Amino acid sequence: MSNFINDIYNKIEVLSPLHAKKLKKNIAEFDDLYYERANNFMLKYNKYLKTNNKTIDYAIDCYLKMIADVTTETIEFIYTDKYTSSTFDEVNKRVYANPETMEYYMHGLLLSQFLWKHHYQIYDYYINTLPKYSDKVTNYLEIGAGHGLYLSKALEILDKNTVFSVVDISQTSIDLAKNFIEDSRINFNLSNIFDFKKENCYDFISMGEVLEHVEDPLKLLLKLNSLLTVDGTVFITTPTNAPAIDHIFLFRNVKEIQELITQSGFEISSEKYFLSEDVSPEKAEKHKISIMYGAFLKKSKN
Amino acid sequence: MEQTEVLKQINDIFIDILDIDNLVITTETTANDIDEWDSLTHIQIVVAMEKKFKIRFTTAEIQGWKNVGEMVNTIIAKNK
Ligand SMILES: C[S@@+](CC[C@H](N)C(=O)[O-])C[C@H]1O[C@@H](n2cnc3c(N)ncnc32)[C@H](O)[C@@H]1O
Repeated sequence: MSNFINDIYNKIEVLSPLHAKKLKKNIAEFDDLYYERANNFMLKYNKYLKTNNKTIDYAIDCYLKMIADVTTETIEFIYTDKYTSSTFDEVNKRVYANPETMEYYMHGLLLSQFLWKHHYQIYDYYINTLPKYSDKVTNYLEIGAGHGLYLSKALEILDKNTVFSVVDISQTSIDLAKNFIEDSRINFNLSNIFDFKKENCYDFISMGEVLEHVEDPLKLLLKLNSLLTVDGTVFITTPTNAPAIDHIFLFRNVKEIQELITQSGFEISSEKYFLSEDVSPEKAEKHKISIMYGAFLKKSKN
Repeated sequence: MEQTEVLKQINDIFIDILDIDNLVITTETTANDIDEWDSLTHIQIVVAMEKKFKIRFTTAEIQGWKNVGEMVNTIIAKNK
């Protein structure tokens, strides 16, 4: 198989050598399965790009624009110890309802699922664990599906009679997910999750990297709880210390996330978290290196 | 400020952040010469330089430098 993912690293290296160096260091330990999955993803993504008259250079340009944003936000974070946005309205205007920004951001984020160590590790956790639920899930909801990568895997893994629904506040995300996945089984809803009225309950709810995008994450988890069947399962991911143009709520450590989960009436069935950089725990603490947290949750019994 | 003086101060920052005690950088040094200098440590170096010289860099500057010499020149220009 030709090595699409290495081509991406090589192209990034030409445009941003410092960044490519870091990426390569971080994934140095990854095994063959990583390359197999990443190359399969690239096959699918290349097909999408071609059909939509875009090129891989376009995608890399998007990715590097996102990296430029992250760099700016990271420097602000070092100075202020806060994320730059504090309200949903601000972020909605700046990002979700701004197709130009949202477009490069979602393509960048999609590539980052394989280029960033912690993104790939949490994705690996998801697709390795989801099959355990495949015979129990009939009604799957994904909140903030964004680019749609996780959803595309759920469609492969879960039973073919499963009903799939998506809620996302951004038309740009919905368009991208629709065209990237190309599966008529999905009901897309353009809505803020807080305004989403349930028609029924879902036995699986997936919500990757949305919790840090709201002003009140407890309220969001309570909303998820209200949408979930009694025996249902939630999968969430959220990062600590991750400055970005659309992040509002700052989790400073994993414990804060775990406490919020318990507070909102869930218990943790399984969890994993990964440092975003290949550094020692001391360095990570000192430089507030982001940690990606992911967990499968169920309703707590008491 | 003199080029040699700025270079000396940046050298101290590199030593501190990259944890390489005997590191000697010149205006010709690039990231190819130092394994530990990547985009993660670059941001830390940038902020340390900003604090030391009481200046702020633009994103274009941060992403544009090809070697240490260009960093030194930006600092001197901003300190005028
Ligand atoms: C960072 S992306 C996450 C994409 C993907 N789930 C992942 O894990 O990589 C966040 C997505 O959530 C959507 N989103 C943010 N706030 C939302 C809200 N209040 N209601 C619904 N969707 C929201 C955004 O439009 C975007 O598509």
